[in-house]
Amino acid sequence: MRRHIIMAVVFWSVCVDSRKIRGISLSYKRFYRERKSFLCIDGSKMIPFEQVNDDYCDCEDGSDEPGTAACPGGRFYCSNLGFRPHYIPSSRVNDGICDCCDASDEYNSHAHCQNSCRNLGQRERADVEGQMRTLDEGLRLKQQLIEEGVLLWREKQAQLRDLQQVAEDLQIKLEEHRRRKHEADRLKEQTLKAGDRGHRHQNRTVTSIFQILDSNKDGRITVNEVQAKVAFIQDEERSLSEDEAVALLGGGHEMDLSMFQLTLWDSLRAGDSVKIKGTYGVPASLADEDPNIEAAERDAVREDTDLKKVEEAYETVNMEISDLRNKLTIDYGTDREFLFLNSQCYQLKVYEYTYTLCPFNQVTQKSAVGTEVSLGKWGTWAGTPENQYSRMRYESGEPCWQGPTRNTMVTLTCGTETALRSVKEPSKCQYIVDFQTPVACQPVLKQQGIHSEL
Amino acid sequence: MAPVLLLWLAVCLSGTWAVDRGNFKTCDQSAFCKRQRALKPGQSPYRALLETLELTNTRLTLQLINDNNKVRLLLELYRLQGNMTRVKINELKPLKPRYEVPDVLIQEPPTEPMSLLSQDENGVVLSLGAESQRVIVSARPFRLDIMEGREVLMSVNSRGLLAFEHLRMRKDTLFHCSPVLYQAVNEEEEKVEDGMWEETFKSHSDSKPNGPSAVSLDFSLPGVEHVYGIPEHADTLKLKTTDGGDPYRLYNLDVFQYELYNPMALYGAVPVMLAHNAQRTTGIFWLNAAETWVDISSNTAGKTVFGKMLDYVQGSSETPQTDVRWISESGIIDVFVMLGPKPQDVFSQYASLTGTQAFPPLSALAYHQCRWNYNDQEDVQAVDAGFDQHDIPYDFIWLDIEHTDGKRYFTWDPHNYPTPLIYIFLTFFSFIHQQMVAIVDPHIKVDSNYKIHNEIRSRGYYIKNKDGGDYEGWCWPGNAGYPDFTNPEMRAWWASMFAYDQYEGSMENLYTWNDMNEPSVFNGPEVTMHKDAVHGAWEHRDLHNLYGFYVQMATAEGLVQRSGGVERPFVLTRAFFAGSQRYGAVWTGDNAAEWDHLKISIPMCLSLGLVGVSFCGADVGGFFKTPSSELLVRWYQTGAYQPFFRAHAHLDTPRREPWLFGPENTALIREAVRQRYALLPYWYQLFYHAYRTGHPVMRPLWVEYPQDTATFAMDDQFLIGEDLLVHPVTEEGARGITAYLPGKGEVWFDVHTFQKHNGAQNLYVPVTMSSIPVYQRGGSIIPRKIRVRRSSTCMEHDPYTLYVALSPQRTAEGELYIDDGHTFNFNKKEFIHRRLSFANNVLSSINLAPDAQFSTQSWIERILILGASKPSKVTLKTAGECLKCFFMFLYGKIIMLMFPNLDWSRHKRLYKRQTQARRQENWLSHCGTWRRERLRT
Repeated sequence: MRRHIIMAVVFWSVCVDSRKIRGISLSYKRFYRERKSFLCIDGSKMIPFEQVNDDYCDCEDGSDEPGTAACPGGRFYCSNLGFRPHYIPSSRVNDGICDCCDASDEYNSHAHCQNSCRNLGQRERADVEGQMRTLDEGLRLKQQLIEEGVLLWREKQAQLRDLQQVAEDLQIKLEEHRRRKHEADRLKEQTLKAGDRGHRHQNRTVTSIFQILDSNKDGRITVNEVQAKVAFIQDEERSLSEDEAVALLGGGHEMDLSMFQLTLWDSLRAGDSVKIKGTYGVPASLADEDPNIEAAERDAVREDTDLKKVEEAYETVNMEISDLRNKLTIDYGTDREFLFLNSQCYQLKVYEYTYTLCPFNQVTQKSAVGTEVSLGKWGTWAGTPENQYSRMRYESGEPCWQGPTRNTMVTLTCGTETALRSVKEPSKCQYIVDFQTPVACQPVLKQQGIHSEL
Repeated sequence: MAPVLLLWLAVCLSGTWAVDRGNFKTCDQSAFCKRQRALKPGQSPYRALLETLELTNTRLTLQLINDNNKVRLLLELYRLQGNMTRVKINELKPLKPRYEVPDVLIQEPPTEPMSLLSQDENGVVLSLGAESQRVIVSARPFRLDIMEGREVLMSVNSRGLLAFEHLRMRKDTLFHCSPVLYQAVNEEEEKVEDGMWEETFKSHSDSKPNGPSAVSLDFSLPGVEHVYGIPEHADTLKLKTTDGGDPYRLYNLDVFQYELYNPMALYGAVPVMLAHNAQRTTGIFWLNAAETWVDISSNTAGKTVFGKMLDYVQGSSETPQTDVRWISESGIIDVFVMLGPKPQDVFSQYASLTGTQAFPPLSALAYHQCRWNYNDQEDVQAVDAGFDQHDIPYDFIWLDIEHTDGKRYFTWDPHNYPTPLIYIFLTFFSFIHQQMVAIVDPHIKVDSNYKIHNEIRSRGYYIKNKDGGDYEGWCWPGNAGYPDFTNPEMRAWWASMFAYDQYEGSMENLYTWNDMNEPSVFNGPEVTMHKDAVHGAWEHRDLHNLYGFYVQMATAEGLVQRSGGVERPFVLTRAFFAGSQRYGAVWTGDNAAEWDHLKISIPMCLSLGLVGVSFCGADVGGFFKTPSSELLVRWYQTGAYQPFFRAHAHLDTPRREPWLFGPENTALIREAVRQRYALLPYWYQLFYHAYRTGHPVMRPLWVEYPQDTATFAMDDQFLIGEDLLVHPVTEEGARGITAYLPGKGEVWFDVHTFQKHNGAQNLYVPVTMSSIPVYQRGGSIIPRKIRVRRSSTCMEHDPYTLYVALSPQRTAEGELYIDDGHTFNFNKKEFIHRRLSFANNVLSSINLAPDAQFSTQSWIERILILGASKPSKVTLKTAGECLKCFFMFLYGKIIMLMFPNLDWSRHKRLYKRQTQARRQENWLSHCGTWRRERLRT
């Protein structure tokens, strides 16, 4: 019953209030019922009703002039039929600029305002529908990406585990190799010790051959002595020419023992071109140089190489692990929806510059002439308290001339594809990147529809 | 931003945060200054040859001879209308003509008759017409004394520092000349000093084909302890003595990161000095456009207040005296002695010589938003939207050099500001009543694909170097030529480039900014042009300080012409000279975001105002460096009460649009800007007044309180017109300020609280971040428009509120000036100008221009009478009709009268359209009949 009364009263007031009060919304209508007097909405003052909208400000709260510009801080309600209604500061009433799409704010000005609400409404509805479609599609893609993210995460975890396994295996192998190398080294050492005699033997051999060649025993081999004692394997009969002898002497006309050991001795030991006259092939004492030593040395070298390879592999794997671990410690969003961005790069060309964003890594700018400048390395998420994932901060890029280092704020917006939309530099060396991706789509947006007063 | 972008800045300018003094000459490094300053006061070698005296009705001529070298000078003396004396000295027979500054005087100053009072072998006495003024010409040594009654107002050459380096043949080349001439020169036995025929500064050499040509003269000002003017210097309002330091230098220079409180030259030069004491104000206008140095000394400098008192008590004091000496590198001596006696008289006298402040479009007095640079059109739109969103009014947005296509002025960057879009954009701007300024600098990129360059080159309009080729120097575009703006043909051509069909992308709401017009030459001596560059018959040396003046003149002329002479131009310049006030606004150049720079903005603009340049401002926020939010807010609060109100910032600084510092600071800045907009009617009226009379808009206190010695050195507060006193908060973390309220027996009203304070007191005022201490003088009426909107144009039809602040005698006076705000139609008598006065409890108005007619939709909606007592009733009388008025009595001291816009609130809606149309006529008749209209309290 009570409800009926209220309805009746409202109905009555609507009937009586035939004069429309300019600049108020329906919900404020009750304050402006035509009576003898008007009470300022803040209750501060009572004025005759004809002073409402008389283009003179009486109320401190501006409530007596909702339809004129008389009150500072007042507000004017554009009903904007066909579009969104909204308030504008009343200082915009009759200022020669069309603010309300229904032109209601310029009822007494030179501005020729057209009612554009219907068009705007249509356009906005189309826009909103487009946005909704984008959002729907974006959210669908986002869900996919989240699912893929889950897989990717698992994959990465598996990869990590695999790597860790590999690392463990490698560690075992490494230990094995270290042991083997150690063993080989020990063996070589032993062999060498054992072959010490052989070594002396070898020295003796060198000396004895030298002495054979050194006919006059003056401690030097001369060209004549070489020509006398050395012959070609292939053609023993032919004597060496002086030039050939000089060549064998390493370009000189004589040599001492130490020089001999470095030159002619090698040729004799190799046994493929020259020999001592009257002998066959390699001097016997050379051919039987200790095979144990050589083998031991070979083994030691091989083990060393193998160990180095394994160590390298181990290091690489460990680096991969720490890399992966670092990547996995980054916050990829509540559902790890941003994970897929990692290891991707996106480019945008703006006139002569090409900008590259590699999310969670860095932002760079490359000029047409080819110099690349870092605009910042991955820092942190820097969004709003409500959605910290709406912006990324990349910091400590290349320093500016006389200024701080370059840094970049990446704003993530909802879209159906992942791409850079724009790059701006509002202040020098401070970049703002608009980055569109489905994973930035937020379902909350969906609740904002079009409010229209039709 | 490419890392190479600031290469030029990096290469050409020092990288530290202070001026590199080594880039600029001291007096010792400037040969003529050093030479002239070496002359000490003493017996002048000049003697007047009285037998050569010729006196016509208005002109006295007399030869002077230098007894040392026998070179003769010709002295001309004129009595000018309006209590001025002109002293002109040139060589009697110079080898070739010496430069006399053209185009600065608005006309050949009209003369008045002089008569010979007495003459003997020692000299002559001339009567300077009225007021018992005489000039005594002493013959040996030559000196002039200007007297009034028994009082010497000013003496010339009393210290014997008149010097005139006559033009001469170069000695080392003389042997080729005729022996007669050689002998003649030999007789003079001139000492050849270093720097007379050639001078080197840093790596720059100045060939001086004309040799030494300096001029110098001294002036003594008995009874004077305070001298002002000779801008532009970053120094106190009261000029300091220069003994022991460098003289004040006048030489237009692009000084990178200038230092404060020193006499170094800056971007502009106005060679005008004012001298003031409690009895009289006088002025000296030294019309010379060459490099000039001014020495000031005083016999009381260095004396403590106690010392002065002691002198007074002991009666042993000599009269205080200030001595001034001007030294210029070339040209002639052409001095205008302005004899006051009141400050306003000196302003009028100077204005009668060089003209008054250009009357700007109303919107130019509003708020300007600038930055180096708004990157692209989208950026500009976003800034515009920011103002809209945060409901902060602004009228102009500015585009710095980056808007051009590679620093080719008159062009647009094809990516960031494509011209078809610029048209659309400016059209949009005109719909929303905003305007734009684009920079046009006078250095022209040498590029054969650039139309402007090709035209200037083919027409031979470039300044030439000493060898006859086009002078080229480095500036923003790289290699650049400099058009010869001293050539009237060149100026006419330049002006024609602003035609809408020539300047692509320009529209009615695009205005111009002339920067770098000292001229700035990055690789030139002292970052400017070589003095031996050639402008037709003259060397750059002769007219350097005039270059910027001409650039602005030609640009302003272009903006006038493009509208067919209808619209008022708006051109901002950095370099200026005497007379620049006729062409627009100036600003104090590249200041820094420091508290001291905020403080210095006051004396810098006050000094400019004193010499006619009223439209002055400093970059709000500071150009270099980054202001704290406190400094930024305080700067907005100060700038809102200075004539030219523009925020500007260096490219390297972070963005600082008003809404970027949190809601509290946004609100503080919004409030400061709104206070400016509410006061626009007052500012506009003051500029109209400045245009009519040459009186400064922003004034030192002593101008209005000439006998109050406490005000003589005051430069932390100032007056706007005569009725508003502003003491901005310029101290970091200030909790209070001490404002001096002048005027014994006067009262001042706080404009925010309406609290009344007595005059002649130091008032301590506690301040918060929102405080802008401003006081309205009791006895004044100030019109405001308190419906602040998005731009001044949006407020055009809004009603006025009159603030009537009563004097202790319960009287008040004020004015109201209204016109269309942007055209020259005020010259066709299309305006309203009324005097408002309150006396005997009646507020009435009289028409100050009965022959003028203008219709406006504006009305008076409210009158606040401050300092009144409660009336029993208030009536409004219009055309004999007597209406009872609404009024309120507030806070026991304010009467508020309310005048709703009755017309259309009383009529039914159907009626409205008709009444709208009629309202205009109503207002017209309203104004026409206001004489009979009374408000009786």
